[in-house]
Amino acid sequence: MSKLEVLNPVQEPLPENGFLARRPESLDGKIVGLLSNGKPNSDNLLTLVFDVIKDVAPDMQAFSIDKGNASRPCPENILNKIKSKCEVVITASGD
Amino acid sequence: MTNLTSQTLEFEDHSEALEYYFEQGWTDGLPIVVPTAKKVSEFLEHSSLQASEIIGVEPVKGRVLTAEKTAINAVMAGCKPQYFPVVVAAISAITESQYNLHGISVSTYGAATLTVVGGPIVKELELNSGIGVFGPGNRANSTIGRAIRLVISNVSGAVPGELDKGTLSHGGKYSWCIAEDSEINTWNSLGIDRGIKPHGNSVTVFAAGAPIQTNNHSGNNPENILSSIADTMLHAGPNQAEIIITLCPEHVGHISDHGWSKQQVREFLHSHAHRTSTEWAEAGFIPSFTGNTNERISVTQNPNSITILTAGGAAGGFSAVIPLWGAGLQSKSTTKPF
Repeated sequence: MSKLEVLNPVQEPLPENGFLARRPESLDGKIVGLLSNGKPNSDNLLTLVFDVIKDVAPDMQAFSIDKGNASRPCPENILNKIKSKCEVVITASGD
Repeated sequence: MTNLTSQTLEFEDHSEALEYYFEQGWTDGLPIVVPTAKKVSEFLEHSSLQASEIIGVEPVKGRVLTAEKTAINAVMAGCKPQYFPVVVAAISAITESQYNLHGISVSTYGAATLTVVGGPIVKELELNSGIGVFGPGNRANSTIGRAIRLVISNVSGAVPGELDKGTLSHGGKYSWCIAEDSEINTWNSLGIDRGIKPHGNSVTVFAAGAPIQTNNHSGNNPENILSSIADTMLHAGPNQAEIIITLCPEHVGHISDHGWSKQQVREFLHSHAHRTSTEWAEAGFIPSFTGNTNERISVTQNPNSITILTAGGAAGGFSAVIPLWGAGLQSKSTTKPF
């Protein structure tokens, strides 16, 4: 008896062309971007994380910014602002 | 047969295939029609679509929604080939950037896509706009809505429990497609309101929460009926950029018998559905509010924030308020002609 042939309904994502950024050896003296997504407490969560890291890298500085809309990708102008100021970025959601 | 490129899977029989689809999480928890190449090709040929044709792109997750994948999921949902143009139009609408498909389908809010169909195709496909319009029983409504949902899950990637983190979600996420009732409608239809030519087919998609019914059997004038609907609107909170009011035929009859236009309905609801800023704050809205505590703030930003649909069975004084995801601000309802 012939087999039943059916089709896969799933669309896989487009292949990623991106790669992980190089990690700095130390955060000392670096400006760290804290990119919150605008959800309540996302800024507080990032500040807490920053304070923890500051214990091991006391000369680190923070640049806090809000991407303004939790459900959409970060706007280009905010990404450019971060790129011009920061060497490291931490992002977070808070729900 | 059209040039299909999806992976072909082989099974001993229908039952084995069905179990495999369940195990992979490719269904909505209910059995599906197995998508054979023959059936999928019938759908594409009916709509004169090439398999590789792109119906839309979901940019956040990098998913391309092709005609082939859309047809596979429409077959699985139990659609007839004749329903496929409606499914395609709806998929084209939900992938418009302003609809924010990623946001609405993964959010804890648990929004469903409500698809409203208008135009001559409603009669051709025997879509239901009447009794039990938000419920089961009509093949076209049920399977078109289900096809859209399966595409969102299988093609756009919003799988419940994985990327879809809806806290409660609601029944509309299985399937939610309705027609507007053009017979009882003494006003312009939704499609006409949104620039569709008379006798043109259209779909409008909304990222919608569950409908909240307003029960009013004693009011027989616009003020009585709309006051109770204004009360129901309060649950949505202030400053909604868009909210849907579905008026049942009985309520439409009383309102239009008094000569009221759709715009008068909108203005009445906008001016009657409000609380003071203190009351909103006490109810948990506007947490950072520090202004005038006696200022009255409406549920809606302005009268045109109210979208009126007419649908439902002829008997019964039940209308419904349907809130939209992100207060109708971060996802815009979208209309497409086809």
